[in-house]
Amino acid sequence: MIGKGLDRLVEGMSRRIAQRSSRRSFVSRLGMAVAGGVALPILPVDRRGQIKMAHAEEFAKTAQTTDMTACNYWRYCSSDGYLCSCCGGTYNQCPPGSQPSPTSWVGTCINPDDGQAYLIAYRDCCGKDSCGQCACLGLEGEYPSYRSELNNDIIWCFGAPTMVYHCSSAVLIGKA
Amino acid sequence: MRTRHMFALLAGTALALGLQPAAAQVVEGAKLGTEEPHTTITLGEPDPHWVYVVDPVFPHLIASKVYVVDGDTQEYLGMFNTGYVPNIVLAHDKSGIFTTETYWSRGARGERTDVVTFYDPRTLSPTDEVVLPNGRFLVVPKKQDADLSTDGRYLFSFNMDPSMAVSVVDVKEKRHVADIDLPGCSLVFPTGPKSFVSLCPDGSFASVRFDESGKAEVEEGQPFFDGENDPVFEHPAMHRPSGQAFFVSYEGQVFPVELKDGAATHGESWSLLGEADKSEAWRPGGWQLASFHAATNRLFVLMHQGGKWTHKHAGAEVWVYDTEKRERIARVPLEEHAISVAVTQDDEPLLFTLSEAASMSVFDATSFEHKGDRGSLGDSPFLLHVFGE
Repeated sequence: MIGKGLDRLVEGMSRRIAQRSSRRSFVSRLGMAVAGGVALPILPVDRRGQIKMAHAEEFAKTAQTTDMTACNYWRYCSSDGYLCSCCGGTYNQCPPGSQPSPTSWVGTCINPDDGQAYLIAYRDCCGKDSCGQCACLGLEGEYPSYRSELNNDIIWCFGAPTMVYHCSSAVLIGKA
Repeated sequence: MRTRHMFALLAGTALALGLQPAAAQVVEGAKLGTEEPHTTITLGEPDPHWVYVVDPVFPHLIASKVYVVDGDTQEYLGMFNTGYVPNIVLAHDKSGIFTTETYWSRGARGERTDVVTFYDPRTLSPTDEVVLPNGRFLVVPKKQDADLSTDGRYLFSFNMDPSMAVSVVDVKEKRHVADIDLPGCSLVFPTGPKSFVSLCPDGSFASVRFDESGKAEVEEGQPFFDGENDPVFEHPAMHRPSGQAFFVSYEGQVFPVELKDGAATHGESWSLLGEADKSEAWRPGGWQLASFHAATNRLFVLMHQGGKWTHKHAGAEVWVYDTEKRERIARVPLEEHAISVAVTQDDEPLLFTLSEAASMSVFDATSFEHKGDRGSLGDSPFLLHVFGE
């Protein structure tokens, strides 16, 4: 759930990321916050909704909302990796013994049932070797790794007990 | 499996009982002799046509591998193990292979160690290592996660934890020199003996120069591409000896860059796509999607037909360009669509394409004749390296 305070924080992040000179100190602070046990759910998010909507529309044309073990489940529009839903977990529950990462990048996916766009945090589940089930590659709005906040190749286990990637989850964190 | 297990058991039992080995029972007239040595092969100096294939082994990420394949024969020459999401860097003088690796002390758990391992290319065995005390970037491997200074003295290993830095390792003295903080920029592209540039989110390079103690100066540059609307892929076609690099954008724009004398100098941008190509929805894509043959100024790019956000789709063809004339000179259709491409740098160059089905195709890079395929190349091979690139 995204509260108003956090929402403002996210907006603040977006503004700051636009100013590259402050990026380094900002990311350092975020790293420290995670290490200190403050489970920030997201890394900097670009919330220019209009652009993101355009990103998500193509995937939504063939997306569905009933089978979370299929690559075209609506939340996976930008997901890359093994679906936690096929590994003993769900889109927002890690499989037994693996740990949810408090950090992620955030994509925007359209739910075809209501036509609305939602923010999806692609938090990895960490602490065991890769699950190996249901490999999917969503690419909507995905950028190279020098735009780390929009890249799905990175092992998003920062802040988790270990950096060993197990599977990919897709947690709803708000409306786009 | 069961038969083999029983055979091993029987052999062991026979030895334990002091029985005569089978060789002593060879019948008179047998052609194979009675015994033979059991040794290990040592490879010669790396051949320009050998290719080093990095397989992150997605279903078992902690157990990545590098395969060595002879491009002429497609023969599998050997392999070595490289831990978790590794990178490899080939020494300019062919004397070594440096790998950046990550391990946990008990497989997928325990204490984490990040290390630069030195491999002998003739034995494919480790000879030395330098620990990276502050870790490394953990990502599906991209070649510019790590590279060597232009004189081959320093290895640069990019790190994101999630703040960005580059670890500098002296491969001659075999020691970690320093970690250099970056202003939110990523990856490493060498520009000199003690300098490199990194790509920044706004489409610019940050230019880094450092001294022997690792003390660094970072200079921010001006954007040379549109990081928001048309980002460049992380894998440029690069020729390190001449410092020539060609960055390719999602929409098919080429950005020539000269990486030398401590700086990145930009040439005039041009497009891979003519109007007809655009109307047929051709676009570049894949992983290591471009390669450059310096002696002939030929740029090789993987192309597919698709819409926006298909940037990692495998290429159906390799398009070949003359970078001086900025013209396409050939289209090479691929039976197996490919995610990565590499060209050797010799006078009779080979073109390698790596498919999503764990196979590699080999072409004459001048006539584009298909010379053969290498199948069963592990689980998920992703990167191709050749000496001299």
